[in-house]
Parts: sequence; C-alpha cells; structure tokens
Amino acid sequence: MYEHLLHPESIAIIGASKDERKIGNVVLKNLLYYGYRGKIYPINPKNEVIFNMKTYSSIKEINDEIDLAVITLPAQLVPDSLEECVEKNVKYVIVIAGGFSETGKKGAELEKKILDIIKNSRTRVIGPNTVGVYLPRSNVSTALTLPDRTALPGEGNLAFISQSGALGLLTMDTISEYGVGVSAFINLGNRIDLSEIELLDYFEKDENTKSIVLYIENFKNGKEFFNIGKKINLKKPIVVLKAGRTAAGEKAASLHTGALATNDNVVDGAMKQAGIIRAYSETELIDYGRVLGYQKPLFGNRIAIITTAGGLGVITADYVSSDVNGVGLSLAKFSENTKKELRNVIVPFGSVENPVDLTADGSTEQYDKVLEILNNDENVDGIIVYALFQTAKVDESLIDVLERHMNGKPMVVGILGSLFGKKMLIEAEKRKIPAYPSMERTVKAMKVLYIRGKYLKGRNEK
Amino acid sequence: MSEKKVIEEMDVKKMLKEYGIKVPNGILVTELPDSIGLDYPLVLKVSDPNILHKSDVGGVVLNIKNYEELNIKFMEMKNKFPNSKFLIESMEKPGIEIIIGLIRDATFGLSIMFGLGGIFTELYRDVSFRLVPIDDFDAREMIEEIKAKKIFEGFRGIRANKEVVIDLLLKVSSFGKDHYDTIDQLDLNPVIVRENDAVVVDAKLIMIIP
Repeated sequence: MYEHLLHPESIAIIGASKDERKIGNVVLKNLLYYGYRGKIYPINPKNEVIFNMKTYSSIKEINDEIDLAVITLPAQLVPDSLEECVEKNVKYVIVIAGGFSETGKKGAELEKKILDIIKNSRTRVIGPNTVGVYLPRSNVSTALTLPDRTALPGEGNLAFISQSGALGLLTMDTISEYGVGVSAFINLGNRIDLSEIELLDYFEKDENTKSIVLYIENFKNGKEFFNIGKKINLKKPIVVLKAGRTAAGEKAASLHTGALATNDNVVDGAMKQAGIIRAYSETELIDYGRVLGYQKPLFGNRIAIITTAGGLGVITADYVSSDVNGVGLSLAKFSENTKKELRNVIVPFGSVENPVDLTADGSTEQYDKVLEILNNDENVDGIIVYALFQTAKVDESLIDVLERHMNGKPMVVGILGSLFGKKMLIEAEKRKIPAYPSMERTVKAMKVLYIRGKYLKGRNEK
Repeated sequence: MSEKKVIEEMDVKKMLKEYGIKVPNGILVTELPDSIGLDYPLVLKVSDPNILHKSDVGGVVLNIKNYEELNIKFMEMKNKFPNSKFLIESMEKPGIEIIIGLIRDATFGLSIMFGLGGIFTELYRDVSFRLVPIDDFDAREMIEEIKAKKIFEGFRGIRANKEVVIDLLLKVSSFGKDHYDTIDQLDLNPVIVRENDAVVVDAKLIMIIP
C-alpha cells in the first residue's frame, strides 16, 4: 500500500498558485521540473489556469482516484482541506505547513484536530511541517527548494528517511556532486501519523533499496524501532544519525545505574544490539549507507592497503591499526608466496610488504595483478585501494579493474584529487564501487563493513 | 500515578537467589542474637528502605573478625539507627568489582548496564548498555565494549572470569524480563568477580507499584 506514496499515479496539489512566492507554486513547478509522468491535479479555488494547466476548485471535483495530495496551505486551513481528502479517500496526504506542535499549545491543538480527522479513515498523513518526498524513480519532488539552486540526486539505492527536511535536502544537494543517488527520500516532519517504523518495513521489501539511512532527532517508539530494526538489519543494513546526543536525560537518577544512563548511551546500546550502525554527521550517514549497500560485510580484521603514493600508505596504516585516531583493525601480514608474486609485478623500489606501494610507476595492469594476488592470500580479509589517477600509467580503465574485483574480498576505494579524481569518483559511484575522496573516510567505511561482519557473525553463531 | 518503592536488601537478594545469582550468607535482625551461624569475618549493614546509600551515612562496617567486635559495632550502629533493621553477612573474599544494573528508559524500555565497579566507573562513564532481554552474544559485546575489558583477559595476572560475568548478565536480564513492567531501577554494586564465581555483595532495587 505504500506504493501509492512512493510510486503515486496521481497527485493533487491543494493550494496550487500563480504567485511565485507561494509554496503551492513552487511545489507544482518542482513536479513539472522533475518530469513527473503521472496525473497532476492542481486545486485552486479560483479556477485559475496555472502553467497552462486546468485547475479544480476542490479535490472532490476530480473524477479520479488520488494517490497523493500535497496540502500547501497555511496551518489553519489544513483541517478543512484534509477533511475533503478523507472524503475523497485520498491515500496519502503531505501536509507541508509548519505552525503545529513545534510552535506550542495552539499548534498542538491543531495537530490533534488533524489526527482526529484521519482517525478511522484510510487516509495517511506525512508531516505536518515537512518538505514531503523526493522520489527520483517516479520523478516526484514536493520540496520547497528552487531547482536552479538545489541539486537533487538521481536514482540510487539508498532509502533516506529524515525527521528534518532541510537537513535531508542539504545532504542530498551535497551528495549529488558525486553522483550518489537515492531510491527515495521521505521527510517525516512532526510525524503525527506515518513514522520511520513503517517505512523500514516498506524499504526492507523495496528492491531498489540496498541500505536505509535515517536522520532521527527522537524515536517515535524506541522499543518498536529496535525490534523492527533488529530484524530488518539482518537482511538490509540500517544507518542512523541520531541527534540530540547531549540532551539532558529526564530520568530520575537515584541509583548509580540511573546516573550513568544518559539518553545517549541507552540509544547506543540499543543500536549496537540491533546491529544498526551509528553515524555522527551527514557525511558519515551517506558514506556508511553506501558502503553497506554496495559492498559485502568484512568477516575479519586483517586489512591490505594498495597505493601508488607512499605517504597515503603510511597514514592509512596508522588509521587502520591504531586505537587512537584510528579504527583499531589490523594490517594483514602477507604470505611469503604473496610477496614473491608481488615482487614479480612491482618495480624493485616499490614495497611488497603491507602497505603495497606500486610507486608513481604503478600502472592499471599492476593494480589488477596486485588485487588478484591479494585476493588469493588467505591472510587478507579486506582491501583498501587508492586509485590515484594523477600519474601517467594509470588510466580510466582502472575503474573497470576495480569493478571486476568487486566480486572478490571486501574492498573500499580511495580516490583523491579534484580535477580528474572527482570525475572518477562519479564513475565509481555509477558502478556502485564504494569510493571516497579522503583517506579517513575510506578507512572508516572499511571499519563499518567490519562492524557489520562481526555483528552478523555473532548473531548467526548463536 | 504509579508509586515507587525501595525493596529491602534481604528481599532483593532472596529474589536474585531464585535466579541462581550468588549472594553472601546473611541474616536480617533488629537485635543481636547470641549465635550468628555465619563465617567470620562479617559485614554489618543498616537495612532500611529510607537509607538508600548506606555507606554515605556510616551504615556499613566491614571486616568484623569476632563476636566481641560484632557486639561493639552492633551497639554503635543501633545507637545511630535506633529504628532500623540490620543485615549481618559473611564478608566475601576479594576479586574484581563490577556493577550491573537495570534502568527504565522512556523510549527504549528496560535496559541493562555493565561496568567496572568503584568510583572510576562514574568518573570515566566506562559502561555499556543493552535492552532487556539480552542473549549470550549481547552479553559478550557488553564486556568487550568497555575500555577496561582487558581486566577480564588476564591483565597483570588478575583472574576474573569473563564467563561468570556473562552468566550473571544473562541471569539479571532474565530477572528484568520477568519483572519488566515493575522494575524502576536495580543496582548490583558491587558484584565481586573471582576466578570461578561472582557474588552480588550489595543490591538495591526500586520497584514501581502500579
């Protein structure tokens, strides 16, 4: 049934307007701009023609089933139009306006009124106080951002659920730079009806979604989120950016356990127990979602590093193995046979020890052979590759090589640089190779694969 | 509105015993009996639901070696707390001190906590949490998560058995699960962990009376 929300065949814009400064104008413009192919029904009481489209004075006038209605009117006008939506049996209604419970008592009463209206109906509400949804596969955006100032990502495999609209849109704008896509974006807003818990259920079954990332300020029902998240996470990885970590706990703390139980360390324990990865910034949220969606879990902590730049190898070795300013994994010790084989591939002044240094003489062919050799060494669990395109013997076909080795051991790629590097990052992203523009992000992505592997192994051994 | 009630230590320990959790041998008295029937050295504690933090008010005497000493300490204690009951227990042989607790979280429900005992736990907040109930994997992870985990891996020849801690965590979890809706907070602090066993030396329980 969530299909009607995530692949709507018909959308009504309640409050569609000619006035460019009105939300009803921007939302309609965005629907047209992103090329929505379903039926659009602008609702405008004065029946004005907007963008050459026929308008309807009321949703009840439309002689069609409505999958999704977007109410763009101010808060005080929402109850009346929502009532019409319920009468019309609209399946989903996005209520964009702010001015509800987030503003105080009066707004909370209005919110209660909305809840009463949809009670016992089949109409579901998203929001209020939301930018709604962005669905690249259906070409739907109900966002309030201006298309010429905001990039939105293309189709991808991340389902993005956010309690905050702005944080979600800004993050999507940022990741668009590297061609990262989403399967869907849903902004929960004040979340009076539709919540993250139901959406987890939906995205578990959604074939286009490989991982689920959430920005959450407070859980609607922590215990239920935990129960469902724990189950789903075994099949589809979930990453949570939970804000409000430092908020004072409201618990009465008369015993030691109480004093030690800040809100956040109970959250932390619950997430770990469910195997849900925690992110602490929007960058980590997407980085971790991508690596978990694109790459298999890592079932051991011995990491091999391949680089053409010695400095990157040394710094990464520190990051990989140190507990302080590092991720506490370990560096693989290669077998004698591996070293012998590497010696045949790499120039004499290169390194056949871990980190493997191909030097500036390194070529695409060498990367291929080294990857092959390391994939065959049973002392190696995962491989970090720096694909550095700045030297002469490395060319674009290195991306093909990396893509081929996606079948091998868990591999995370670092592609540094701006001129050509960025182009190659985008190319890697197209092929769902987890690649990152910095050493730190590359190593942390590998660590996340390890955490997931350790969790899955531990759960399955039970 | 529900009320909260502090359960007497002896009763908490009786409940824990039913879950196979080891507690010291002890007796609850108002007057000092002629015969104690416990192995020395002993510990004398005030047992009063109104006194939650006994040592803060001088309500605990450790290492009482014989009946004479007990007699003196008992009189002193009785003067200090004329209307309270007293718990006399055999003193446990030392080991590593840990804390295990249960706490009700507003969104996540009953949670279990693990950490090393003593003031450093509070100072460094080196504790781990899980939601009740936990399984063997969760218990192992809880121990692995704290920074002081090395103490269970033979650090400086210290012999504290990780497996008995895992076993105890699982038992406390079962206790929590069976009283899921009525436990407000539980503190087992300290629990003494030795080479082959773990004993709950002090237990505080606050329950919700519906």
